Amino acid sequence: MINPLRSTSRRLATLVSLSFLLAFIVLGGGVFYAVSAMLDKDARDVVRAQSQALVELRRDAGGPALLAEVRDRTEAPDDPDGAYAVVDRHGRRLAGAALDLPPGFAAGVPAIAVPAWYEYADANTDDNARTIARAVRLPDDGVLLVGLRARAQDGFRRLMLRVALAAGLAAAALGLLLGWSTARWVASRLDAFDRTAARVGEGAMALRVRTDDSGDVFDRLAQRFNGMLDRIEVLLAGVRHATDHIAHDLRTPLSRLRNRLDLLRSDVAPAQRASLDAALGETDQLLATFGALLRLARIEAAPVATDAPDVALKPLVDDAVELYAPSAAERGIHIDVHATPATLAGDADQLFQMLLNLLDNAVKYSPDGGRIGVTLAALPQGIRIEVTDAGAGIPEPERQRVFDRFERLESHRGSPGSGLGLSLVRAVVRHHGGQVRLLDAGPGLRVQVDFPPR
Amino acid sequence: MRFLVIEDDPQTAEFIVKGLREDGHAADAAKDGREGLFLATTETYDAIVLDRMLPAVDGMTVLRTLRGAGNATPVLMLTALGEVEHRVEGLRAGADDYLAKPFAYAELSARLDSILRRGSAGGAEPTRLAVGDLELDLLKREARREGKRIELQPREFRLLEYLMRQAGRVVTRTMLLEAVWDYHFDPQTNVIDVHISRLRQKIDHGFATTMLQTVRGAGYRLDA
Repeated sequence: MINPLRSTSRRLATLVSLSFLLAFIVLGGGVFYAVSAMLDKDARDVVRAQSQALVELRRDAGGPALLAEVRDRTEAPDDPDGAYAVVDRHGRRLAGAALDLPPGFAAGVPAIAVPAWYEYADANTDDNARTIARAVRLPDDGVLLVGLRARAQDGFRRLMLRVALAAGLAAAALGLLLGWSTARWVASRLDAFDRTAARVGEGAMALRVRTDDSGDVFDRLAQRFNGMLDRIEVLLAGVRHATDHIAHDLRTPLSRLRNRLDLLRSDVAPAQRASLDAALGETDQLLATFGALLRLARIEAAPVATDAPDVALKPLVDDAVELYAPSAAERGIHIDVHATPATLAGDADQLFQMLLNLLDNAVKYSPDGGRIGVTLAALPQGIRIEVTDAGAGIPEPERQRVFDRFERLESHRGSPGSGLGLSLVRAVVRHHGGQVRLLDAGPGLRVQVDFPPR
Repeated sequence: MRFLVIEDDPQTAEFIVKGLREDGHAADAAKDGREGLFLATTETYDAIVLDRMLPAVDGMTVLRTLRGAGNATPVLMLTALGEVEHRVEGLRAGADDYLAKPFAYAELSARLDSILRRGSAGGAEPTRLAVGDLELDLLKREARREGKRIELQPREFRLLEYLMRQAGRVVTRTMLLEAVWDYHFDPQTNVIDVHISRLRQKIDHGFATTMLQTVRGAGYRLDA
């Protein structure tokens, strides 16, 4: 199963990482472009200054002086990146370095736009250096070429690119980490809600989400969530209180009614006794239901047993099966027992009653001649008790409901029983920190009771 | 009979007192331990119903004080549920029986009846029990009716032994579960009834009178 929170965190991490990368590319690209332009402009300024100086030299001192100066500069350069050449109108080099002619230069055609800037990768240099060059037409239709190898600029640019690439990767990784940890943090906060909601759903009504009083959105959500749970708990307690009070208050008049019916019974003719007996039986059933309701209320209200004495469960299971064997045998039902010794801190009477109620249901709903399986096992994950019958089972949607007070399956409405048996089972199991589940035994019902290890 | 009910919960106290009066007994009620102790030491009662948790002086103290002063009035202690060790503690301190809340009035009545008899019996532990023509030899683990041997399972033997010790009195299903199986709660199902009907089959089948009677809404009674 895919955990939606995990996939959210993956999405969030990717998103943050990509945003970081995009922001870096936009910013880095802008800076790179601006710096490159500035570097080239500086280079051109140098080239322009040099060519102007040489043009002035020719004007002042004549052509041969220019040729001499160019030769001089080529042989003993002040600046290793500077390159100078003078070509005649046919493009033949008169002096200087082997600089390329500007594009569009045609031999003998003095029509090129001069001065002209051009750029090329110079194949005559060892490193194929990018050269920024300027061609200036001289009065004799020759051309002065001044070039600058942009080695320093390109080196700087390359360095800038490398640094930018590394920084970009770091930013993307940081984004990934940030997104992931943010998502993890959010997920862990939401996980707390999820876990609490699940446990409360299973019946741990007293559980709450932890609040940190920070007042942030999660804290507020936690407080609202807890408030909601408080309200639900109060409502549930109210319902329980009402039923319990009714049970308590009605017991006295009901007992009185019962005793009067009983007294009357000895006064009436035997013919009328049968209907009085039926009335007495129903009163007794009511009293028994009230008694069960009150006992249930007391178990639910009692705090969870913590320092209770150890109870050996195998004798309880054996006793319960022995107690039920005659009832089962009357209908040809056989009870299989597989019990290994196990101990649980708790109340032997409650646990025994839990077993009786489970067996009672199993016998009640088993077909005649069926088999009932009772297992008690001490597993690494705790103690497990299972009671399996081969009856009609309980449809999946009804399984949670049958634990509620007076809830009985529609199909069992006619049969005797108070509808409190499974409520009591659940109350006892919870009182001992355990969980009870109803499973399909195909066909039949498997009631699985798990108690956590100590 | 005259009873003293020491119980702080007015509803429960009223429930008990009304029941006792309707049964034709006299009953006084005390709402805390101090008042209860005062009444118990200054008046004479046939039995006392004593709640374990009481304001002022608690039930255990009342019981110890009474027993310490040589007062042997039978005491039935009432307790909230789930206090196994309290039951043991209560019985050790001299309570004659123990009843967990909530209980049916019939249960309380049967138990009061039982402890009243217990108080008057006394004497050495018998090795034979006899009710009418039914005899139980506790040493040989044998049951006979009209001299005819009856085969009993160990659990059936214990069941019959308890019924015979309480002969003539009503025993509830809870009392049976307690005495024969050693669990303390109201089973709420007919599971005990099946054991009783099996026993009845063995001791009454083929004889002129039915000794083991069902008492509606309360339990069973073994009579000669």
